[in-house]
Amino acid sequence: MPDKKNASYVQSLCMGEIEEEIIVPFPKMEDGEKETLGQVLASVRQLLSGREKEFREWDVKAEMPAPFIEELRQFGLFGLVIPEAHGGIGFGSTAYSRVLQEIAKFDGSVALTVGAHSSIGMRGLLLFGTDAQKARWLPRLTTGEMIAAFCLTEPGAGSDAAAVRTTARRDGNDWILNGEKIWITNGGMADFFTVFAKTPDAQTGGKASLTAFVVTRDMPGVSTGPHEDKMGIRASSTTTVRMEDVRVPGDHVLGGVGQGFKAAMRILNAGRTGLGGGSVGGMKKLISLSARQAVDRQQFGRPISEFGMIKEKVGLMVVETFAAESVVSLVAGLIDQGYEDYAVEAAISKVFATEALYRVSDEALQIAGGNGFMREYPYEKAVRDCRINRIFEGTNEILRLFIALSAMNDVGQQLKELASVVKSGVADPIKGFGVLSGYAKKRASLATGLVGDKRSFTRLSPSVKHAAVVVEEATRDVAIAADRILRKHGGKVVGKQFATHRLADILIDLFVLSAVLSRVNSIVEEKGAEGAAQELAILEIFSGRARRRMRSNINRIDDNDDELVKVVADHAFEKEGYSWDTL
Amino acid sequence: MPLKILVTAKRVEDPESKIKVKPDGTGIVTDGVNYKMNPFDEIAVEEALRLKEKHGGEVVVASIGADKSMTEIRAALAMGADRGILVKHDGPLDPFVVSAILDKLFEKEKPDLVLLGKQSIDDDQNQVGQYLAERRGLGQATFASKTESLESEAEQKKQPGVVLAADGKSLRVVREVDGGLVTVDVSLPAIVTCDLRLNKPRFASLPGIMKAKKKPVEEIVAASLGVDLAPKVAVKKLSEPPKRQGGLKVADVPELYAKLKGEAKVL
Repeated sequence: MPDKKNASYVQSLCMGEIEEEIIVPFPKMEDGEKETLGQVLASVRQLLSGREKEFREWDVKAEMPAPFIEELRQFGLFGLVIPEAHGGIGFGSTAYSRVLQEIAKFDGSVALTVGAHSSIGMRGLLLFGTDAQKARWLPRLTTGEMIAAFCLTEPGAGSDAAAVRTTARRDGNDWILNGEKIWITNGGMADFFTVFAKTPDAQTGGKASLTAFVVTRDMPGVSTGPHEDKMGIRASSTTTVRMEDVRVPGDHVLGGVGQGFKAAMRILNAGRTGLGGGSVGGMKKLISLSARQAVDRQQFGRPISEFGMIKEKVGLMVVETFAAESVVSLVAGLIDQGYEDYAVEAAISKVFATEALYRVSDEALQIAGGNGFMREYPYEKAVRDCRINRIFEGTNEILRLFIALSAMNDVGQQLKELASVVKSGVADPIKGFGVLSGYAKKRASLATGLVGDKRSFTRLSPSVKHAAVVVEEATRDVAIAADRILRKHGGKVVGKQFATHRLADILIDLFVLSAVLSRVNSIVEEKGAEGAAQELAILEIFSGRARRRMRSNINRIDDNDDELVKVVADHAFEKEGYSWDTL
Repeated sequence: MPLKILVTAKRVEDPESKIKVKPDGTGIVTDGVNYKMNPFDEIAVEEALRLKEKHGGEVVVASIGADKSMTEIRAALAMGADRGILVKHDGPLDPFVVSAILDKLFEKEKPDLVLLGKQSIDDDQNQVGQYLAERRGLGQATFASKTESLESEAEQKKQPGVVLAADGKSLRVVREVDGGLVTVDVSLPAIVTCDLRLNKPRFASLPGIMKAKKKPVEEIVAASLGVDLAPKVAVKKLSEPPKRQGGLKVADVPELYAKLKGEAKVL
């Protein structure tokens, strides 16, 4: 059994190892939870179906009416992830993600309102709250009497979360908070704010570090700004949250003074399957719309579904959706099984699912042609609504750096050990020899492609062999690539974003493919290869495309035009624009 | 006066699923078909809950079928019913046998009122309620409906369409019949079947679903009830309706006449 505290499938890939037992068999939901989930989904459909007109109206007006929020409360949608003991449904990540998927099929703003509350707004309380803190707030968060908001972002602290300027200073047992947060989802309706502020830290000699606080709307000095006028998810409430000399009692600190940065990252990681689920829901809805459009729409005397370019679009939309669904479910399954080190995997699922949705919505609009551009059809709203997904809860760029650098961490550790051994080799030749030869062996077996420990899958059905080999070969390649990148750049790798971007893209493809592989394998085992013909086709398509992308990215590690691109970019920065014209 | 109400919840194919007949005509292709509570039964459950909310009492929901019918019982419990009875039976049933089983449940539970959907949307037979009334020798009111529109203020306030008399001994039921409405009074205990326009069923809230998990459901094996379970009606064959032919445009009346007479042979 893998060590659930530290095992990470993706981090092992960079060491050239396939930790098969983490992802095979594909996680399955326990029967009791599955039954409850089925009922919840049926009810959600009843609650939201037939309201397209209202959702569109709210999008135009940029508001979600209070009576509807009240309906959501009565319905119990704010208690999805809160334990039964506190009156909630107690759903794990898989079931929760599936509910958000269902809501997102109807409306992005509704999904976000529910998601921002459960995924991140009150996640800190769930993860780090003391029993007393939980008993105090969870019952009201369950019923939606209090709606929650996550308050990290500031004008100067976007991707660079550590640059927060909101301050908290000690005053007896209390803290006095001052500062302004921007783009806070649910800001206008929330009563419970998880706020990150700088606190002077005694342990770091007074150097400020982040701390998470529970701030409630009834505290004097808390105010929120007007509803932001946004490109998409317009009905969802986004506002500023301002704190002016807000007195916060000492027992409102979440997870310890100075622990705020780590807490923020853990909250965001834990919440990713919510956004992933929402993205998958959006894709499924768009495929229904596009399939119907393709069959109904006649041009040149035939339904456009008969044309190759339309088939190509819809076919690939299905493949992308299946892939996104697989990776989001796999990550949620890992969380539910108790794996603790899932941050890289969760980041991959967010990046892949949000970008897949963006491509799918764009193609769906294209299939609808001119109608797609018209506001009376649902496509343009879908494109607008999903655009933010690549930006919030960690931009996909920051997440790519995180994916590549975290995954390379273990390789870096080994190389560092190696370097220190080389330096101190004379002092302790025996110890030095052991480490050296171990790593050298690993390197040698990687380079020669010898099948060693954890180099290949052992539990998969022969029907999925083809795709399994793609994963095995790419794993060997990525390990060599990680080694090469680290040797080339050493500690400076952090600043080498062209290289890390490439490595991240390889790891994204590799993990998503692994998820699809494991899922299809489980389906083959259940239904037989003949019964799983559609799924095997999807696997074949995805693995072939992933293989070509990975190959291209690996080739470009050494053979690329990175330096030229930098020159051109720097020129544009210097001129503050484009310098040419054909006149 | 509190009412004890027995209400049915049959598991049927979801009308939104695509239904296909097996090539050999012995049944439908069940792969990929979703199931749900018979929509007319949902209306019956809703009416039972409204009567209970007004007068107090108990709502007992019954379903007959394989283990999976537990899902429909849980759905009714999640809407607010108090407890369930699952009569376990695999294999075909017909309205005659179903009414015999319900007769036994009536004997056991002694309800003041049995509310059923007027028919189930799978076989559309519309017989169980009538048979049950006959077996028990009780008054029946079929096709219970409502005088006001479903969008009315009364409906918004969830007023029951089936009204209990002041003395608690009879019900006043508005029935939907061809070309209008008929109002009947029926003495309790009574059998009432529910039509489409009686109410708008509520849907289960998430707390309701959680509560339903803890509500008691009794399981009874159908064979233990001492009822002849052999259906009187045998289904010989299922077939899909003939495919609709595409329409065509005609230039004028003479051409239309010629087509109707010559090709369609309807004139």
